[in-house]
Amino acid sequence: MASESARATSAAEQRYRIDAPNSQPRTVKVIALDAAAERVVKRIARRPWRCATFFTSLSDDGAPRGAWSMQAWLGDVAGRAMDLVGEIASADLVVMVAAAGGSPPAASVIGEACVLNGVMTTALIVDARGHTDAALARTLAALRPYAAMLVVADGEDYIEAMLEALRA
Amino acid sequence: MLKQEQNDLLTQTGPGMPGGRLFRSYWLPALLAEELPENECPPVRVKLLSERLLAFRDTQGRYGLIDEFCAHRGVSLWFGRNEEGGLRCPYHGWKYDVTGQCLEVPSEPVESGFCNKIKLKSYPLIKIGPVLWTYMGPKERTPPHPEFEFARVPDANCFTSKRLQECNWLQAMEGGIDSSHVSWLHRGALDSDPLFKGARGNRYNFGDARPVFEVVEHPGGLYIGARRNAENGHYYWRITPWVMPCFTMIPPRGNHPVHGHFWVPIDDENCWAWSFDYQPTRALTGDEVTAMRAGKGIHVTYVPGGFRPAANKDNDYLIDRAAQKAGRTYSGVDGIAMQDASLQESMGPVVDRTKENLVSTDNGIIMARHRMLRAIKALMEKDVTPPGVDPAHHRVRSAAVVLPPDQAFKDAAREALTVREGLAHASV
Repeated sequence: MASESARATSAAEQRYRIDAPNSQPRTVKVIALDAAAERVVKRIARRPWRCATFFTSLSDDGAPRGAWSMQAWLGDVAGRAMDLVGEIASADLVVMVAAAGGSPPAASVIGEACVLNGVMTTALIVDARGHTDAALARTLAALRPYAAMLVVADGEDYIEAMLEALRA
Repeated sequence: MLKQEQNDLLTQTGPGMPGGRLFRSYWLPALLAEELPENECPPVRVKLLSERLLAFRDTQGRYGLIDEFCAHRGVSLWFGRNEEGGLRCPYHGWKYDVTGQCLEVPSEPVESGFCNKIKLKSYPLIKIGPVLWTYMGPKERTPPHPEFEFARVPDANCFTSKRLQECNWLQAMEGGIDSSHVSWLHRGALDSDPLFKGARGNRYNFGDARPVFEVVEHPGGLYIGARRNAENGHYYWRITPWVMPCFTMIPPRGNHPVHGHFWVPIDDENCWAWSFDYQPTRALTGDEVTAMRAGKGIHVTYVPGGFRPAANKDNDYLIDRAAQKAGRTYSGVDGIAMQDASLQESMGPVVDRTKENLVSTDNGIIMARHRMLRAIKALMEKDVTPPGVDPAHHRVRSAAVVLPPDQAFKDAAREALTVREGLAHASV
């Protein structure tokens, strides 16, 4: 027996959708994996964000600086070393940003840390336009094993669009 | 989520709206050619992009798409007489040709030339394949004709249908590029629908319920690749192209016909969901066409006399809770098209995107919105022709392929993602 007080959605019925928050902020950590991505991430970090924080990877030259430690893989946008494991563990989503053409070694370390902590990963390759297929494939191969979602964007502006869409 | 003003930009496509201007840059499907089957056949009311129009085919076989209402006193010309090279209003006999030009005003002296001063707004209407296409933008910017492959193959190779979808075009289209819902909503169809079952690729779907995704831009839109594990460390890729603003193709399965959609705004609260199935290299079989006419695959059955699906919101989409519980269908709604439409219409006529909580796997949707917002801005501020207008952007294909793990799908499947005349789709 139909006893519903509301039937299928109409324009009139849509007005009655409850107007209350339906989510809590998610913690998003955005990590630049190379020098080109670092410039973009530092620029974006100047904007106010609700729950996104921004980091650089300290391994751009292919090896961690100084003695090997997990800390050596992550820095804040001011260049201070950060605790990779602690930052990853407190994230709901980690966004790795890389420029097309490189093969960032930090991807594997950060990606493994995300896997160990059960943290969702997204990888963004920016400025893909103008790079050769081989260069792009190199970056894709470095990121693919560690990204549950991989986006290849022609420009840089997609990072902000994505973060806004994710309520970061 | 989107800000309200962004949602308005993307969902409002009427005259004068920025999103409307974007849509008026493209050739769009307006009618099935079979809706105007012969010269002097009855005219058809058409609403597109929030404009009420009338389509007709005159004595010489010319197609016209004109303002629905007589310039005299606003009568709907749907009641008109299609005769001797024009459509005559039955009220006082004013007559119009396919360009909307008034040919006769019987109450005025012919010598006065009054009829020359009367012209209804009109748009070109051309037949390509099984579709009548229109372009509703400025005449001086008329783009080259569309070159989507489904409309270019022999008639016997293609089956096209359309259905009314009672929600804004964008939430319907976003379903077409939301590859992650397939493993849930449509999971029952792979081994039961005659237009899907039996393909080797299906077993990869069943064997790996957690696909990962890659989104790659192409000049006309996006490729969205869904990756599942295959044998020997290889990946099974299902690659969906989206061409701006509203064309999507579904990756093929085995030797089944390949299918896709257009999502064309009727007004801001309704759209046409166009659905096509085709094979580039062979005619569709009788069994395939029979299944399509019976509402299998991505097609539907109708309320008699129109294009409203038989399962619709007034009958709760004929939901079958027993079938849901038994797992014969995942949502209880039968048929892939109505499984999608029921949920998309349930969001309301225009979904409030300020309330949504997108996740990482929604990047295809996020990128598509981003591309469209960027295109609207460039069009409004700098008069830049948007992506998807160039016919070269239309010549895309979906693909289902198995690739080594180190290969980028866009490169490894480059040929498979492009129309290759005389060659079948890459399909597993």
